[in-house]
Amino acid sequence: MHDNEQKPGGRTEEKFYGLLAEFDSPGALVEAAAHVRDAGYRKWDCHSPFPIHGIDPAMGIRPTILPVIVFGAGMTGTALALLMQWWMNAWEWQWIVSGKPFNSLPQQIPIAFELTVLLAGVTTFMGLWALNKLPQAWHPLFKKDRFYKVSDDGFFLAVESDDPRFDRAETERLLREAGATAIEEVRYVTSPEMRRVPRPIMAFIVVTAVLALVPFAFIAKWRNSHSDKPHYHIVPNMDFQEFSGAQAPNDVFPDGRASRAPVEGTVAHGELKADDHFYRGIADGQFARSFPSQVEISKDTMDRGRERFTIYCTPCHGEAGEGNGMVHARAQAVGATATGWVQPSNLTDATYVKQPHGQIFNTISNGIRTMPAYGSQISEADRWAIVLYVRALQRAKNASIEDVPPEKRPAIK
Amino acid sequence: MSTTDTHTTGALPANEKVHLGPLATRLKGLGLGAGLVCLAAALVWGLMLGDDMRRFMHSYLLAFTYFLSFALGGLFFVLLHHLVGATWSVVVRRLAEILTGAFPVLFLLMLGIVIPLWLGNESLYLWSDHDIVEQDHLLHAKAGYLNAPFFAIRMLIYFALWLALSRYFLKRSVEQDTSGDPALSDKMKRLSAPAMILYAVTTAWAAFDLLMSLAPHWFSTIFGVYYFAGCALSVYALLAIMSYALQRSGRLTSAISVEHYQDLGKMTNAFTLFWAYIGFSQFMLIWAANIPEESVFYRPRMFTDWKWVSLALIILHFCIPFVGMMSRHVKRNPPLLALWCVYMLAVHLLDLYWLVMPSYSPDKVVVHPIDLLCLAGMGGLFLFGALGVAGSAKLLPVRDPRLSGSLTFINQ
Amino acid sequence: MSSAAEAQKYFRDVTDTVCDLVERPWGRMPKAWYIALAFSLGLLGLLLVSLTYLVFTGIGIWGTNNTEGWAWPIVNFVFWIGIGHAGTLISAILYLMRQKWRTSINRAAEAMTIFAVMTAGIFPLFHTGRPWFAAYWLLPLPNDMSMWPQFRSPLEWDVFAVSTYLTISVLFWFVGLVPDLATLRDRFARRGKNLQAAIYGVLAMGWRGSARQWHRYEKAYLILAALSTPLVLSVHSVVSFDFAVGQTPGWHTTIFPPYFVAGAIFSGFAMVLTLMIPARALFGLKEIVKESHIEAMCKIIMATGLMVGFAYGTEFFIAWYGGNPYESFTFVNRAFGPYAWAYWIMISCNVLIPQLFWFKRCRVNPWIVVGICILVNVGMWFERFVIIVTSLSRTWLPSSWHYFQPTFWDIATLLGSFGLFMTLFLLFLRFLPAVAIFEVKIASDHAHAGHKSH
Repeated sequence: MHDNEQKPGGRTEEKFYGLLAEFDSPGALVEAAAHVRDAGYRKWDCHSPFPIHGIDPAMGIRPTILPVIVFGAGMTGTALALLMQWWMNAWEWQWIVSGKPFNSLPQQIPIAFELTVLLAGVTTFMGLWALNKLPQAWHPLFKKDRFYKVSDDGFFLAVESDDPRFDRAETERLLREAGATAIEEVRYVTSPEMRRVPRPIMAFIVVTAVLALVPFAFIAKWRNSHSDKPHYHIVPNMDFQEFSGAQAPNDVFPDGRASRAPVEGTVAHGELKADDHFYRGIADGQFARSFPSQVEISKDTMDRGRERFTIYCTPCHGEAGEGNGMVHARAQAVGATATGWVQPSNLTDATYVKQPHGQIFNTISNGIRTMPAYGSQISEADRWAIVLYVRALQRAKNASIEDVPPEKRPAIK
Repeated sequence: MSTTDTHTTGALPANEKVHLGPLATRLKGLGLGAGLVCLAAALVWGLMLGDDMRRFMHSYLLAFTYFLSFALGGLFFVLLHHLVGATWSVVVRRLAEILTGAFPVLFLLMLGIVIPLWLGNESLYLWSDHDIVEQDHLLHAKAGYLNAPFFAIRMLIYFALWLALSRYFLKRSVEQDTSGDPALSDKMKRLSAPAMILYAVTTAWAAFDLLMSLAPHWFSTIFGVYYFAGCALSVYALLAIMSYALQRSGRLTSAISVEHYQDLGKMTNAFTLFWAYIGFSQFMLIWAANIPEESVFYRPRMFTDWKWVSLALIILHFCIPFVGMMSRHVKRNPPLLALWCVYMLAVHLLDLYWLVMPSYSPDKVVVHPIDLLCLAGMGGLFLFGALGVAGSAKLLPVRDPRLSGSLTFINQ
Repeated sequence: MSSAAEAQKYFRDVTDTVCDLVERPWGRMPKAWYIALAFSLGLLGLLLVSLTYLVFTGIGIWGTNNTEGWAWPIVNFVFWIGIGHAGTLISAILYLMRQKWRTSINRAAEAMTIFAVMTAGIFPLFHTGRPWFAAYWLLPLPNDMSMWPQFRSPLEWDVFAVSTYLTISVLFWFVGLVPDLATLRDRFARRGKNLQAAIYGVLAMGWRGSARQWHRYEKAYLILAALSTPLVLSVHSVVSFDFAVGQTPGWHTTIFPPYFVAGAIFSGFAMVLTLMIPARALFGLKEIVKESHIEAMCKIIMATGLMVGFAYGTEFFIAWYGGNPYESFTFVNRAFGPYAWAYWIMISCNVLIPQLFWFKRCRVNPWIVVGICILVNVGMWFERFVIIVTSLSRTWLPSSWHYFQPTFWDIATLLGSFGLFMTLFLLFLRFLPAVAIFEVKIASDHAHAGHKSH
């Protein structure tokens, strides 16, 4: 940076930057600054190892706009944070956490605050350097050895020769009268070669830029090509495990498969279902005429049966089991009866009153005609409860006034 | 307002008016007269309402805690000043000490809460109602703490301490006006540390007793700090207002400069932010955990008409002052700053209103002339009390060792 | 008012003293530095081994398990973050309060903050077991899987708070460094050491002490200080929310935010003193880091310690007042249950021992101060331990009660984390100016030399 003797290859110019004056104390510099300001100079500056109290008004420096920019950035951060949290948790993918509203404003405040500060702080940082026009690779003042002191104990005032009021003699006189202990000219030699980026650095930049494109090139290639090989597993992530998968091969067995069928006669827990009466509604080779012993004839069972009947049976058979469920109503409404729709059975009809319990159980389990099998959806105990409820419906339909308890008769009459 | 001479030399001009003079007597009379009349009117009106003084007691408590926060803020200011050896605040410290002069009057006003409790009035605090306590398991368990006699004893302890501390610091400070003895500053500094500890504990517990127990099933560990935040922001606002008013009347015109106003403004800002932080912490934690025994405090404040007051509190007490007082130009403009500080005292009242009144009326927001009469009454008596104790003193500690540093103080 | 010559000599002395460590050739550092570095590199190695083993084996190597799903890792995290807070307080809050004595310690304290936060970050990152998965959970990275962070969780707020804190601390620290980096650039260049001059020069970005640039610089510094102040309060508040937002007895209490902040400042200042007292003695900084500065820090430790004690008392009282039997049990259990030993260590170190600072003799004797400060940090580690582990080991269901014990790897990771912290700090002392040179100059009376009127 300080070896400025370039061989004059192209158009070498000698530039005169201006005058550099040194002062021996912060106070002296401030006073001198006031003089220079009052003399009407515009392109000049003071330099010191630390900011000097009182030098801003002495130089006529106007307050910087930085705080305004930072405030705007901060408010942007607030808005961004609230918007982000709303969008991500309450709009794009809503999910309930602890029963809180999707958009939980109180819980958004901490992040809103943090992003306000983050954006404001980063803007302060960027704004500071941008407004100060830094980084700046070089400045003519660095040519002067004296200027080394600017970061230690030296106090300087520099007036640029570009300034309209600059006069080589006059300006020097002003500075001397203002108390300068030393005044120097700042001249430097520049040529197109010197302003060019040195070869090694340019080579470094070019090579780095080219190398930087390489990963992107690879990514582009891979995204648009097909590979037969399996993925790279940079982190194993339990991707390779010792067990055999469901359809995997295994040499140990003659058929070469890892999956084995259960041993003949294996029955899973709860699947033995030996009791024909309970599980199939069959007693002594026929449909059972009684409820199995596991079924408790009680109000609880009746309630359960009613509940299950309502869930599974009423769509077709209706609330009272008479075959007028909403499926039938719909079928009628769309005219399906004309094309073969048969009304679901009236369960209170004599046919079904005469059927044994086990037969009704069997119909629920295996289905009949158009009715599908419900055995996979309803457990055996529940099916018996439904049978019990159906019996209640049948009795209700075919009851006489004597069947009603005395206290309830007036309500019906 | 300030001459550049004082600013640079650190000496008060000879013609600086540092006494209230006859103004003190007039203000005292005005305060006493208006205070007694308004309080009496409030009392009579309260009796006429026939609600066992329930409305009156709540208004009284509101006004009491409001003006107590002024005095406690003043005491905090004085203690902090001595503890950290602050320089900038010397010029306004006497004004804070004057605020603490109101403790004796506040003590008497406190009796207005304690004595009815003693006499069996159950309209203010649920826990004072024996029938309710008998049946309520939780209140029964707390009855060892929440009962009238122990409450009274605690109040006496708090006030004894506050009276002792405020008197000590005021007395030494005024003594230094004549003797100029720097050892007094050392004494005050030494006491300020233990005093601050006692201040913290008594202020927090007073807040628990006076305000938190309005909702005796509820609790919040940060409540004392919340009340303290209000005290702190009040004192800086008050000092700005007092400074401006005094300077308008021709007093302290050289002593207090825009630099001091800026610092008072900064501290008001800081404590407004602090208040918002404490208030938010309390709210968000209770809201998030959603435990019924804690959320009971916020339920009326969120789901009845009070929600508008809650919203107003956030916007008026935090958002607007935070943005409005941020610029240094506002803080360095004494009339503008004073206006903002009056505004801050108003929203501080709103804050206390929000704390107290939902206990009286959980469903509806109610303002009654009794509220205003109590406020005016206690305000007048506060003025009377403060000036009665410290009205004849000089308005700034003229021989404080750090006064010249305070007079020449400049914000960077 | 000092004369110009006196002032300039003072400025040169400050520059020389502080830059000395940076400019020494490699073989000529103080012996203590080498010993400390060897020790801390050893601990750093232990950390690397622990973390590698952790990633390859799984977090089962730690003692963290049911029912203490949170144990040492989060205690360590909160511990380190807390320590970081002192740096920001010194840089930012004391700056806003115009306390000039901060200039001797703020650079080192800020560096300590950054290193403490970096060390703290290890724990949330690695306690996930597979940290590479953490990206989508923690950061709102654009993706088409609708995989967004859960913003209602205080752990997510932590991510934002700690990252913001780290970022702003680094930026603030760097801003403060630039003029001093220029100083080093010029000193190396003057002596012909061009490589060092170039490195520091690039970092100094061409700083030349221009008054117009200083104007904006000071404004930016003030803004960063004003931003950092609420930031530092918010960070440890958000950390406290990790606990307080839940319903666990002993955790869910509204005073946690300011209480944690006070505790953080308490432990942070203790760490600053633990580092700076030996550093000033060994590296010739006694004229800059004065006894009065140490005393001031001891008083701050006292004040924040008393705030922490106040919080203990309030929590205890309200636990009774609130009438919640689980809450009151928690507090009684802390003092007299199976972890009573930890509780009383905490009380002794945090409440009782700092009371020694009432006595001036204890404030001015550097070795007593270091001793007390180390105990304060021990006490603060135990405070987090007591809060976290006692509540979890005795939750609502007695069938879940369990006595947690750390494993070797818990301990190794904690000790190793000190290695990372100390290594970074020692390297900082070697390569960067440990004191803010230009700030010390501004704060001195000599900065007004030659001023006719003020």
